[in-house]
Amino acid sequence: MPASRSTKIALYLYGVLAIVILYLPLVSVGFASVSRARYLSFPIKRYSTEWYARALESPTVADLVTTSLKVAIIVTIVSMVIGFFGALAFARYHWRYRGTFQKLILLPIFFPQTVLGLALLMWFNSVGIIPTWKTAVVAHLVWIAPIATLIIAIRAYSFDPALEEAARDMGASTFLILREITLPLLMPGIVAAGLFAFLLSWGNFPLSLFTTGADSTLPEWLYAKMVSGYSPLVPTVGIMSVVGSFCILILAFAMTWLLRKARNNRPKGADNDTGG
Amino acid sequence: MSSEPFLRLDNIVKRFGDFTALQGISLDINEGEFLTIVGPSGSGKSTLIRLLVGMEEVSEGSIWLRSERIDETPANKRPTCMVFQSLALFPHMTVGQNIEFPLKIRGESESSRRARALELLELLHLPADYYHKRIRQCSGGEQQRVALARALAFDPEILFFDEPLSALDYRLRKALEKELKDLHHRTGKTFVYITHSLEEAMVMSDRIAIMRKGRFEQIAVADEIYARPISRFVAEFMGEVNLFDVEGTASGGLYGHGVEIHANGEAGAADIALPQGERGILMVRPEFVRFLVSGETADFIVRGILREEYALGSRIQYEVEAASGSRLTIEKLREDRFAGAIGSEVVLGWDVENTHLIREA
Amino acid sequence: MERLDRRLGFFSALPLAMLLAVAFLAPLLVIAVFSVMPQRVFSLFNAPDFSAYRVFFQQGYYGPLAWSLGMALVSTIVLFLISWPLAYGMAKVFGRFTLVLTVAVVMSLFVSENIRLFGWVLTLMKGGLVEGHFRALTGVGFESPLYNVPIIVFGLVYVYFPFMLFPLAQGIAMVPDDARQAAADLGASRWRVLWEIELPLAAPGIVVGCLLSFVLATGALAESKLLGGQSVIVIADEIETAFTYGQNWPLGSALSMVLILIIGALAIVAVTRIDLDTIMGRRR
Repeated sequence: MPASRSTKIALYLYGVLAIVILYLPLVSVGFASVSRARYLSFPIKRYSTEWYARALESPTVADLVTTSLKVAIIVTIVSMVIGFFGALAFARYHWRYRGTFQKLILLPIFFPQTVLGLALLMWFNSVGIIPTWKTAVVAHLVWIAPIATLIIAIRAYSFDPALEEAARDMGASTFLILREITLPLLMPGIVAAGLFAFLLSWGNFPLSLFTTGADSTLPEWLYAKMVSGYSPLVPTVGIMSVVGSFCILILAFAMTWLLRKARNNRPKGADNDTGG
Repeated sequence: MSSEPFLRLDNIVKRFGDFTALQGISLDINEGEFLTIVGPSGSGKSTLIRLLVGMEEVSEGSIWLRSERIDETPANKRPTCMVFQSLALFPHMTVGQNIEFPLKIRGESESSRRARALELLELLHLPADYYHKRIRQCSGGEQQRVALARALAFDPEILFFDEPLSALDYRLRKALEKELKDLHHRTGKTFVYITHSLEEAMVMSDRIAIMRKGRFEQIAVADEIYARPISRFVAEFMGEVNLFDVEGTASGGLYGHGVEIHANGEAGAADIALPQGERGILMVRPEFVRFLVSGETADFIVRGILREEYALGSRIQYEVEAASGSRLTIEKLREDRFAGAIGSEVVLGWDVENTHLIREA
Repeated sequence: MERLDRRLGFFSALPLAMLLAVAFLAPLLVIAVFSVMPQRVFSLFNAPDFSAYRVFFQQGYYGPLAWSLGMALVSTIVLFLISWPLAYGMAKVFGRFTLVLTVAVVMSLFVSENIRLFGWVLTLMKGGLVEGHFRALTGVGFESPLYNVPIIVFGLVYVYFPFMLFPLAQGIAMVPDDARQAAADLGASRWRVLWEIELPLAAPGIVVGCLLSFVLATGALAESKLLGGQSVIVIADEIETAFTYGQNWPLGSALSMVLILIIGALAIVAVTRIDLDTIMGRRR
């Protein structure tokens, strides 16, 4: 009972429409970022890259980028490590509280982020920690580490435990198995999780909003400018942030592609791609 | 039986892009028949059955049921039904709900549905309390029966089977093959069954259609296909066989490669003669080959060395390396076991009435 | 093997479990305790008086809560309806296009939601991308659709689309083709197959998708602020105000607690009824 031709065409068109709608607002922001006028109005009469030049010179923007980068990089590294072990506990090992653990991980993902940010603010306050970008790292981790865990867990599910058992059978220690078998096999998942972690942290604002204290991240600053007092820098900095994420994404894809190519160039038989 | 066929397949072609899965299939199926379509994987048998039930559309040709064209009727409007290889039982429903599904679709009342489901459970030797069981709680054989019951509840004109027994273990499969044949007798329905297992086909069917590369190679009753295959492919597909290349000689006899032929001109040899220069294949099944003692003679003789002996339970299989280098298979019942030692020289022989000549174009 | 598995499982879970205990469960506890404190205190060491919950009813905070829940409900229903065909296409019809769509949708997630919503403001405002060009072409302008309730719902649908789409596609992928074909073969029409086979078998994905969208939309803030102007105040907005301008932590905590309890109850009901191992594709 395959879908009829007309149904297929309609579904494809629907898919394309979805992508168009998904990215339409970014097109508007893109146009706005190159409009010369201080007060934006379409159709744009004069284009200019003036705001980009201003943004690049601005020390505020540089500060924002530095803070966002610091947070995102630390969140990425910690998420990858925590997520690797978390995923093993989630998907691979059979232990007593696995079910509870699986559900506990889902809770922060389901949780309204604004409320989570506020709760963390009160928590830091009551234990006497003054919020800075470092507390924002913790806030991001509460949401992002579980997501990283889930992504790696998907990979861990498609992993045959017999491989580890075979290694153990040949006398490998737990640590050796982890390093030689488990880690390499889960690597694609870990890399994907790292990418997600970085990009989600880079773009997040509801968690940063209350937990950065005097510091400010890029999305936070954008939000502040959007709700109170428009600045012509908003579309420009927004687009720069978007372009930044897409660059990271393209870089990641290019690296995976190069790695795969390098591996395929090796003589046949050395290729141990497990697929999946 | 009426003069027009019950189900007629008229020159069916099915293409998937550049690949032609079925290249002009024609077949008439009689009412009440048990027809089995056998072929190796990739032969197109699954595609054919999916076309017949309406899960795929034909590219060319037509399908007629009782002189009514059905190839453009969607699956849910065709009076046919299929038992899937995976059985395709609905995991979220109980056994009873599965069986009642086609009746529910038809809008039958709850009480009549239930009565029919219980009837079918009994017909398929399942206890009535299975009605409330979950599919997951049933064993493989039980699920098999539930799938059959569901198909019968639909009350189709023709019941199709897509290798439904392939996932079961040997003993259960054997038992269900016999049960299926029995069910065919009791319901009187037309069964069309596809499988890659020759044994399954032989046990159950009235007729067997051998399929290869999107075409029918031969359609006949089981004995005919076994004894008189139309091609090397069918001969080899239908179990162990010994084949020799032969060619017709000027004197009207046969010249064999690696086999001595003494039967030319004798009675019964007419159907194994070839015109001069034409090639053919001489076929003999392993159970018809004898070990000759000195002085004994046969219509066809091969000399060689006994290489292996395999015990197959009730039968013993021997492998002989002929002087020409080819290998022969011989089978004997255990009580007729051959006493010769491995490595000894043997003379093999068989008679013309057990020999078949395949003329290949 | 079994004993080793247990030990390894426990130790592997430890880092994440500790993180969540310290930075998730503990703050929740703080909120819970703060919510019963007297008004406008900033310390946990006071005698509880539950006054914040009284304020919740007296000052009509159930209004914003109702708006949040109502808009979340409507957007979840809309999301389900518009995502189903696409999710179906991704799971069963599209080949490579599924990957294209997945990448496109995931990439949009990496753009901060406030930038995307701001983009909608630029698109839909008077003199924005749509109206500006329309007026330039025809000479006739029209009112912007911004700053009302439907546009907030639209914003929720837009932002939480991936959270409905992917679980649905996963759910639909779990429906065996054979089961659908068997149902059709047994006489079921397209709609009967949908109702009797596809919806029940895709239920885990449907539950996860609807729950995620509903929960996230209930706690959403930016959509109503950026797209809705001040047309309605949502509960997350009230919570933020109570904490910041209001300087009333117990009230903010009480409002949060009400939201958390509603969401938590929903999440727990759903999560306990779903087998995560099956959804995520355990092999054996």
